[in-house]
Amino acid sequence: MFSLKVEEIIRHSETISTIFFSGKLRSYPGQFIMLNVFGLEEIPLSLSSPDSVTVKAVGETTKALISIPTGTFVGVRGPFGRPFSPTNKKALFVAGGIGIAPLVFLNDFLTACGAKVRLLYGAKSSDELVWVDRFDEVRISTEDGSEGLKGTVLDLLKDENLRDYDRIYVCGPEAMLRKVLEIVKKEGMEKRTEFSVERMMKCGIGVCGSCVLEDGLRVCAEGPVFRGDELLW
Amino acid sequence: MYERLLRIELCGMKMKNPMMLASGILGSYASSLTRLSEHAGAVVAKSVGMEEREGYANPTVINYSHGLINAVGLASPGAVKFAEELSKYEGDAPLIVSLFASEPQEFAALTSYFPMASAFELNLSCPHAEKVGLAIGSDPELVYEVVREVAKSTQKPVFAKLSPNVDVVEIGKAAEEAGADAVVAINTLKGMKIDIVARKPILSNVSGGVSGEAMKPIAVKAVWDLYEELSIPIIGAGGVTSWKDIVEFMMAGATAVQIGSAFYYSNRYFYSLKESLIAYVRWTGERLEDIVGAAHS
Repeated sequence: MFSLKVEEIIRHSETISTIFFSGKLRSYPGQFIMLNVFGLEEIPLSLSSPDSVTVKAVGETTKALISIPTGTFVGVRGPFGRPFSPTNKKALFVAGGIGIAPLVFLNDFLTACGAKVRLLYGAKSSDELVWVDRFDEVRISTEDGSEGLKGTVLDLLKDENLRDYDRIYVCGPEAMLRKVLEIVKKEGMEKRTEFSVERMMKCGIGVCGSCVLEDGLRVCAEGPVFRGDELLW
Repeated sequence: MYERLLRIELCGMKMKNPMMLASGILGSYASSLTRLSEHAGAVVAKSVGMEEREGYANPTVINYSHGLINAVGLASPGAVKFAEELSKYEGDAPLIVSLFASEPQEFAALTSYFPMASAFELNLSCPHAEKVGLAIGSDPELVYEVVREVAKSTQKPVFAKLSPNVDVVEIGKAAEEAGADAVVAINTLKGMKIDIVARKPILSNVSGGVSGEAMKPIAVKAVWDLYEELSIPIIGAGGVTSWKDIVEFMMAGATAVQIGSAFYYSNRYFYSLKESLIAYVRWTGERLEDIVGAAHS
């Protein structure tokens, strides 16, 4: 456990911010930190770069976090968890809502590896789309039709030839992950697809047992990234 | 073939080795208990009380250089819901259900909810929850009452989990006199950690229980003292991280040992320790059961 200073904050919209820390963490895309907002709660957050988290306000702590004053110290434990495995070939990203956060980090990492990344990005409305300009190839869907295709990211996925890709990386709400898993299984691509799974987490270090999956694996330690063939859904 | 030398019997329960999962670690869901039971002698579920209990806000578990400090606050879904969860347990190792309550009758009432339990462990020692845990376990008379009531309510073995924050032998004796089948020593030690930049305690509950390697010598001493004074089996717990720690606890007088914080390192811990213990008995040629109390002359 250590403390980092909030150096800069980018307010993407009313509910989403990216918080940059005073120091880079030795980390890989897909890993998370346990971030303690003193006086509130400690919560797990995916890194959106080695020195940032991209957060959506959903609870008391995240609400405070998206407008945290620069210069504030926050407690950090981690980075923890198994990261995404890299590729230097063609990669498809499937992001739902704030699930974009670890994929922004992954995009930087894979691009440096020489991979070609295509992003399918679904959100509720256009103001929830963040970091879109960081990607070369993007297809967007919004539920209210305010940008891109009106629908969900699953509608975008229908037009893709999944077998063209060396890896598929998925992050978003669990209902979406489950549906994407069904789709990739039909294409026989589940071993090449990696899912960043979210569960209610407390300790982040594999001891409390709050985040275990149906087969007893721990999201915080064996995950949060699981291959499709490792998930029992 | 050496694996059979690891077998022990604890209060009539046949165990494939002396390793038990400690309560509060990875014990909230049947799925993880089942997974861990593959190489464990027994597993202990997370402490359960009659009613649902929220527990404290995060941070509730933190790691420091020599172990963990936790103040989870006995978060529990309550007896009915947890019994439903535990009914899905599919492991072949005995399942032990850990109970907490604020008075003897409530403890006794809990046992009937858990037909899947092979034994019950009484949490008389959680150092960070009000009115339960250590609040009960620091009073020898109350411990006597609790153990007696629970023992009356069930035919299954009853273990009393003791705290190092009080006189462990005095409480252990009270439990034995009341009819406990074994004692578990020890629960966590009181402790805390302060963030020196924020100048604030890190745990939301300010203080909690220290576990892990740092507390091992304290736990070994508690087991040693209990072995001298008690005639019921002792289950050692506190900082077991390597196979040598298991051997050490057993030589101090423990029939079995509980392992918890070490799962910080890997969830394959039982497997790796089991393999090491097999190597140990191959070297000594002795049954593990025969080294219990070997250091007492």
